[in-house]
Amino acid sequence: MKTINVCVGSACHLKGAYQVVNRLQRIVEEKKLEDFFVIKAAFCLGHCTNAVSVRVDEGAVFSLTENGVEDFLKEQLRN
Amino acid sequence: MKLFYDFAYDSLNKVQEELCGDKVEVVEAEDSTIIVLADGLGSGVKANILATMTTKIAGTMLKEGASIDETIETIAKTLPVCNLRKLAYSTFVIMKISKTGKVNLIEYDNPPAFVIRNNRAYTLEKTEKEIHGKKILESVLQLEEGDMITLVSDGVVHAGVGGILNLGWQWSNVEEYLLRHSVMEKTAKGIANKLMDTCAYLYEQKPGDDTTVVTLKARKPETLDIFTGPPESQERDTELVHAFMKGRGKKVVCGGTAANIISRVLDRKIEVLMDTGTESIPPRAKIAGIDFVTEGVITLSHVVDNIIDYRTKRLLKAPGKNIEQINGADLLTRVFLEDSTHLNFYVGKAINPAHQNPDLPRDLSIKLRVIDQLKLQLEALGKIVNVHYY
Repeated sequence: MKTINVCVGSACHLKGAYQVVNRLQRIVEEKKLEDFFVIKAAFCLGHCTNAVSVRVDEGAVFSLTENGVEDFLKEQLRN
Repeated sequence: MKLFYDFAYDSLNKVQEELCGDKVEVVEAEDSTIIVLADGLGSGVKANILATMTTKIAGTMLKEGASIDETIETIAKTLPVCNLRKLAYSTFVIMKISKTGKVNLIEYDNPPAFVIRNNRAYTLEKTEKEIHGKKILESVLQLEEGDMITLVSDGVVHAGVGGILNLGWQWSNVEEYLLRHSVMEKTAKGIANKLMDTCAYLYEQKPGDDTTVVTLKARKPETLDIFTGPPESQERDTELVHAFMKGRGKKVVCGGTAANIISRVLDRKIEVLMDTGTESIPPRAKIAGIDFVTEGVITLSHVVDNIIDYRTKRLLKAPGKNIEQINGADLLTRVFLEDSTHLNFYVGKAINPAHQNPDLPRDLSIKLRVIDQLKLQLEALGKIVNVHYY
């Protein structure tokens, strides 16, 4: 089980954090991945200059766009 | 406990008039606040001049310590005589609220002031006095917590005359209205807004007379401490958090970084309340011991817009069915407007590099300006606002 923390700070919000969260939740629901992922919001992850910041568990921070969400989840399932 | 004297006023202009023939003047003297409401004869420019002169003379003279007699004499001798009516006339009410909570009312020809104490109508003992041929009513009241005094021009009492209502609503109807709403509305501005909204409705949005309300409410002071933005130097994080937590008020944290600082310094975890986010406003969060946690600059700019809206359009949006899900901006608007009399802002001046990107909407680059605007708006509502920068 992986926890995906999506930053919902000011900068990420303006770059589409709301849409990224929605897309993540939708895909997890549609593909029945609830046992693999928990989607959580986090306050500022400190990477404000990049696109929407996403951290898997306590690991590295990725930059996601709404359209990159599906590939990102596939990638995470493979590892 | 020392009471907070919350007052507010508002006017509707007679239909098709650009100027209001009623005028409210608020003067801060050394040991008191003087509020004067005048209703000039007629409407439009003429009435506006009469009312303005009356309030200015009364405000200025009383502030400088002149007696009531001298003040009224000066008003009587100064007002220009109307060509048409051969009269120089303006009704007025003077309300002097001293710092000790003593209120002096001086009324001349206006609808009697409404006083509510313990949710009941309260009758003032008035003494009649004649000054320069004018019958003046004087009264005194020592304010207690919850007391509310409302002054109106006759446009309020006549609202609806010949339209929706044959006789308008009468003085006693207005009193009943105020009794009912004084229980529901916590603030003077809330009462004033509601009364004006109802008058506009009774006039079918076409007021037949200038319509003005002044409300004073003696409230228990309520303090709010608001922390937003990281300090310029990281070394001051701890100092800021301690200063912020030491404040006596309810605690509000606005901003992701600010919330992270609180979480780190106090060693408490942040839980984001995902359901409270909307497309335009990021979600709120929860930290133990902090009353409200929201995102920073986007939320606060919405709060500024909401308050401007409230001041011009009068009615506050209903909070919706589920208070748990209210978004950060609507929640803070409510808390700032209703549940606070004193607001202390702890503002860090650090610049977030992401906020300097010219591609971003103007929202983000102007954090400090948002705080300035917020301060202006809140002060216009009579709140006491302090800003500490770090």
